[in-house]
Amino acid sequence: MATSRELTISSVMTQTLSTTMADRLRAIVGHNHVITHPDRLVAYESDGLTAYRVVPRAVVLPETTEQVSSVLALLHEEGIEVVPRGAGTGLSGGALPTPDGVIVGTARMNRILSIDQQDRLATVQPGVINARLTEATAPYGLYYAPDPSSQSACTLGGNVAENSGGPHCLKYGVTSRYVTGLTVVLADGEIVRFGGAGTEAVASLDLVGLFIGSEGCFGIATEIEVRLLPAPEGVRTLLGIFDTMQEAGHAVTDIMASGLMPAAVEIVDHATIVAVEASVFAAGYPIDAGAALVIEFDGTEAGLDEDADRAEQCCVAAGAREIRRATSEEERLGLWKGRKKAFGAMGRIAPDLLVQDATVPRTRLPEVLARITEIGEEYDLKIANVFHAGDGNLHPNILFDRQNADELDRVEKASQEIMSLCVSVGGTITGEHGVGVDKRGYMPLVHNEVELEMLRRARWVFDPSGSLNPGKVLP
Amino acid sequence: MAGPLVTAGGVRLAGALEAQRERLLPCVHCGFCLPACPTYNRLGDENDSPRGRLHLMQAVVEGRLDASSDAFQTHIDRCLGCRACEPVCPSGVEYGTLLELAREAAAEARPPGMLTRSLLIVMGSRPLRGMLFMGGRLLRATGLAGWAVRHLGGDGVAGKLRFALAMLAATTEAEGFRRRDTAVAGVASATHPSGSVDAESAGTVPDRALDAPGGTVGVLQGCVQDGLYGRLNDATGRTLDANGFHVRIVTRQDCCGALHAHGGDLQSARHLARRNIEAFERAGVDWVVVNAAGCGAAMKDYGVLLEGDPMQARARAFAERVRDVTELLAAVGPRRGAPVTCSVAYDHPCHLMHAQGVTSEPLQVLDAVPGVEVRMVAKADECCGGAGIYGMTHPDLGAHIGGDKVAAVRETGADLACTPNPGCMMQIGAGLRIEGSGGDVVHPVELLDHSYQRAGYYR
Repeated sequence: MATSRELTISSVMTQTLSTTMADRLRAIVGHNHVITHPDRLVAYESDGLTAYRVVPRAVVLPETTEQVSSVLALLHEEGIEVVPRGAGTGLSGGALPTPDGVIVGTARMNRILSIDQQDRLATVQPGVINARLTEATAPYGLYYAPDPSSQSACTLGGNVAENSGGPHCLKYGVTSRYVTGLTVVLADGEIVRFGGAGTEAVASLDLVGLFIGSEGCFGIATEIEVRLLPAPEGVRTLLGIFDTMQEAGHAVTDIMASGLMPAAVEIVDHATIVAVEASVFAAGYPIDAGAALVIEFDGTEAGLDEDADRAEQCCVAAGAREIRRATSEEERLGLWKGRKKAFGAMGRIAPDLLVQDATVPRTRLPEVLARITEIGEEYDLKIANVFHAGDGNLHPNILFDRQNADELDRVEKASQEIMSLCVSVGGTITGEHGVGVDKRGYMPLVHNEVELEMLRRARWVFDPSGSLNPGKVLP
Repeated sequence: MAGPLVTAGGVRLAGALEAQRERLLPCVHCGFCLPACPTYNRLGDENDSPRGRLHLMQAVVEGRLDASSDAFQTHIDRCLGCRACEPVCPSGVEYGTLLELAREAAAEARPPGMLTRSLLIVMGSRPLRGMLFMGGRLLRATGLAGWAVRHLGGDGVAGKLRFALAMLAATTEAEGFRRRDTAVAGVASATHPSGSVDAESAGTVPDRALDAPGGTVGVLQGCVQDGLYGRLNDATGRTLDANGFHVRIVTRQDCCGALHAHGGDLQSARHLARRNIEAFERAGVDWVVVNAAGCGAAMKDYGVLLEGDPMQARARAFAERVRDVTELLAAVGPRRGAPVTCSVAYDHPCHLMHAQGVTSEPLQVLDAVPGVEVRMVAKADECCGGAGIYGMTHPDLGAHIGGDKVAAVRETGADLACTPNPGCMMQIGAGLRIEGSGGDVVHPVELLDHSYQRAGYYR
């Protein structure tokens, strides 16, 4: 696997771009939208995963499909690698620069091109922020369902690249269920269109489906058509407080087994509760609790209260010591606070944070969590867990200090053990953050050589040159 | 690439930031601040985002970047200081404080331009700013400022001058509000430090102090407020008095120092802070009242500004007493006045909303004026581009940001623009004037004051 040692900036010399190249790029996107000075490239050395840092050769910020096409054609001609970048919120290092590569960022491609109320479709540029689309469609009584926890900042282009999920994907599904059409610029600048106008890929092979989750290795999506949903009529939110993680796990299993369809089921563990409550984001969760469970139902008003009652009974039967139910939007946000602020609260107790992402069968959650705690103890690391319990998507947060080389090494080993553990119980190495550079080394845990070769060939079909986001996903 | 890049000065400057490592560390690089940043939204360059700027600061601390480099200088300078990134930060990074330190590092590595330097010197000195504002009032009263705005070109030096004069012209009292002088003498002159009433004689209404349920307040006169918005300071005193506060004059107070802190001159800012702490302590007031958001934010941060200073404990105690005028009025549930029929386009000042977390209080003040219809400006939580003299130091970007705000204000179709901060009032007013669409800007307290006058509360 790619270790951070191979990737730290001290060991790789970033090449500067020739003046002629820079000028030609500027001629395409405008003078101020090409960054080449080394001092100004430092800000781009990592995305949301700061354990890896590489200063890129240059950053280019196009505004239209045509500009992306011209930029890619030019870079392709010169044999220069390209790393696509959205808002740089990714947690698997998918937008980590390469020392020889140029970043093509979508920050300026932030227009919503159309909203079709009748057909419930929207077409956006890739730099549009996830939450902005829901804001813009709200006046029509519509919304965009996938809601990554970073939805206030992450872009739809990034969501397509990572096939992003979020708390409510338990009921609604991830990005791939909502993208119906794509305009894509390939590595050589060629512009292609997949799907479109709401049509499912029924008439041919599903290229839209193939592209989603390709992590910037297949092309740059420059126009994205998505399906919108009517905003739910009502919502009910519960918070269950448990003495042990075991009990919370049982409650989740019972709720799912009882035939209920919650929109979200989220668990925050004891270590996280302690961190959140000690921070400026204190949410009022009891600090001696073993776990807190957030359950949400949404949809048509009729039946929502009954669903919430049944979920409450499941919690009580599993041993919940306290149940809180929101009666207003304000209270609802209050119940969610401990979950939503977990990531930030961690930032205050350690300089660096590795948010891992793996999926296990729901029923195996309690034993996996117990083992993760042991792994933390073995490697003398602080690990706190928040996760989408409904679909078994774990997010162990490993706290560390990047300045401490020995600790960084232990983080890597612990990470690997957690991944192997999840795979060994029938899970997989990512739930929603993608593979990126961080989990590339774990791919052989879930794919055999034949499968890996198929993936390599799929990539080759889109980008025979291998110059788009090299070093990501495939080992 | 470390080491040789950093000059002797750079090491010292990095030291100031290094001392604040604890404040830098909580940034986990999550990027949640990006969409909140007006400069990033318009430029798309991460160096012009809060996360990018923090990254530059950290690079200086780590010795990877020189504080005198173009990158550090340009991007730190280009920040509006609106602090919209703070409420959205999941890690609670104290960006405003860090920015001031970065500005100090930047200014020491490379002294700022003449314009900024002279402005800071003038604002820090009472006689100098007295002369500047006297000249300003003269230009305003003669109508020369307004005339020049209509006749100057928009480019280069003329453009900058035009913008400055438009800001000046924007401080003119709103049409229809110009009636005064009658029977308002009492509190009005008592709150004005240049007035003839001194501290002792202001205390000649001891019975009032006794029946002031709200407590005793001292009003920060400020620099721009005192020079160009005397009427706002008067209205602040009068409306507080009418709501059961005892307004006491505070002599020997000074500029709050916010301009200096934002400009990287922390030494002057600390000096001014000490003067104010002493002055308000001497006056023995319960509350230090401010009607300018930037000043209020700066004064609530005196404890941080004077960290490690012998006066730190006093600075903290002082900061605890600082309130925006709308906070105090809202706390007592302001008395309703006579109707003033008009619609206002309301915009949130960044230094109230983001820096102080004050959002509903100014609206509660407007609520006390029957007949006022409040129309929220679209993206009312985004900076208007005022940010001190941003329109002059960054004419293009400033005009872009300011232009968007002016368009949003006009979109409401309201009679007046309304925002509780003189800096934003000048910025929005200047934009409206340059566009030639006219339009006055009022402070909510001015409206309340007008309503109280009509109701006869001051007789």
